[in-house]
Amino acid sequence: MKHHSGTAYAVSLSIVVSCAVLLMVGHLLGQQGSGDSNRAQKLSASSIQIEAPDPGDVILPPEFRIAVYENLILQIEKTGKFQHVYRSGDKDAAGAPDLVTLHTKARSFTQGSQKEREVTTVLGATSLTVNVRITDHTGQPIVDRDIKGKVVLTGGNLGATYDFSKKVAKIVRNNF
Amino acid sequence: MRMQNLVVNFPVATNWSRELGPYIWASRLFVVAIGACLMSSPVPAHGQAVDASPSTTSGVRAQAQLVVGGQSVKNNSKGILSVVGSSLQFDADGKKVAVEASSILDVSTDKDSRQDITGAAHLAAEAIPYGGSRVLSLFSHEVDVLTVEFRDANGAYHGAVFALAKGQAAPFKKQLVALGAKTTAPPAGPAPVNN
Repeated sequence: MKHHSGTAYAVSLSIVVSCAVLLMVGHLLGQQGSGDSNRAQKLSASSIQIEAPDPGDVILPPEFRIAVYENLILQIEKTGKFQHVYRSGDKDAAGAPDLVTLHTKARSFTQGSQKEREVTTVLGATSLTVNVRITDHTGQPIVDRDIKGKVVLTGGNLGATYDFSKKVAKIVRNNF
Repeated sequence: MRMQNLVVNFPVATNWSRELGPYIWASRLFVVAIGACLMSSPVPAHGQAVDASPSTTSGVRAQAQLVVGGQSVKNNSKGILSVVGSSLQFDADGKKVAVEASSILDVSTDKDSRQDITGAAHLAAEAIPYGGSRVLSLFSHEVDVLTVEFRDANGAYHGAVFALAKGQAAPFKKQLVALGAKTTAPPAGPAPVNN
């Protein structure tokens, strides 16, 4: 009698455990599914206008500012997500019906040294953190993130602006 | 035998040299003329400023590298940067970028950016080893950097960064400011004399 009750207990315990495991797996799969559906909901806009970088309180040399802007224009154009990529102040942008606007504001800037990077391989990194905000035609933010561009091992300091613009282009690809 | 041969051959050799004399002189003159032409031709050394031709340009002219911001010209193209009439021009591989001085919102050199650090911050920066004091430089100190921000005819904002040989960015800035370009850091001294 005791043997039977022990077996029944073990069976019922295993059923409970397996049910719990199934529920957890189902919950996780459900979460993943909803994530995919969120990712699938991409925005659409035919035009984007890229505003001139705002240095904010950061001392950002003009050559860095220009390199950020021009690299950003190039990389956004390369994504092929927009029919028109307008520069700041372009009069033609006013007629675009579903225009989104990309704003950038410098958060921090650490100047490294190419020579130091090449000699030590661990020191001298140049890094640049910029807030990237993409707003729709009503001014509502679609993307609002801080993006870091850096050049660590090899290459000139300009590489940080290139790295940054590549990351922004990736965000644009994921959202549009 | 050898002596005989020499005696016999000597007059022949003399006659040969006499016959070819005018040709040798002509060839020498030709070499000298070619040398003179090469010496007087205006081929610049690498990184050397080139004198402007008065008929085509009104100011400074130098070899430069367009680092970023050329519309039709690829980034990192090497060419000639010059001030022609009232505009800044960059020619590389048969392609040209021209910016009217009056449309320039800000013209600056990398020397201007370093002037932003003053006082204690400057002293602190100078104390950093391994060139760490070069806080605000995108490039090596071996080159000058000229940055130009401007608007095109449609009002669109553009920027271009040029790398030049050391000491050559400031004359461009002075010239452009004299022609009506705006700047947040006015240059010291008069603009370079027009050729």
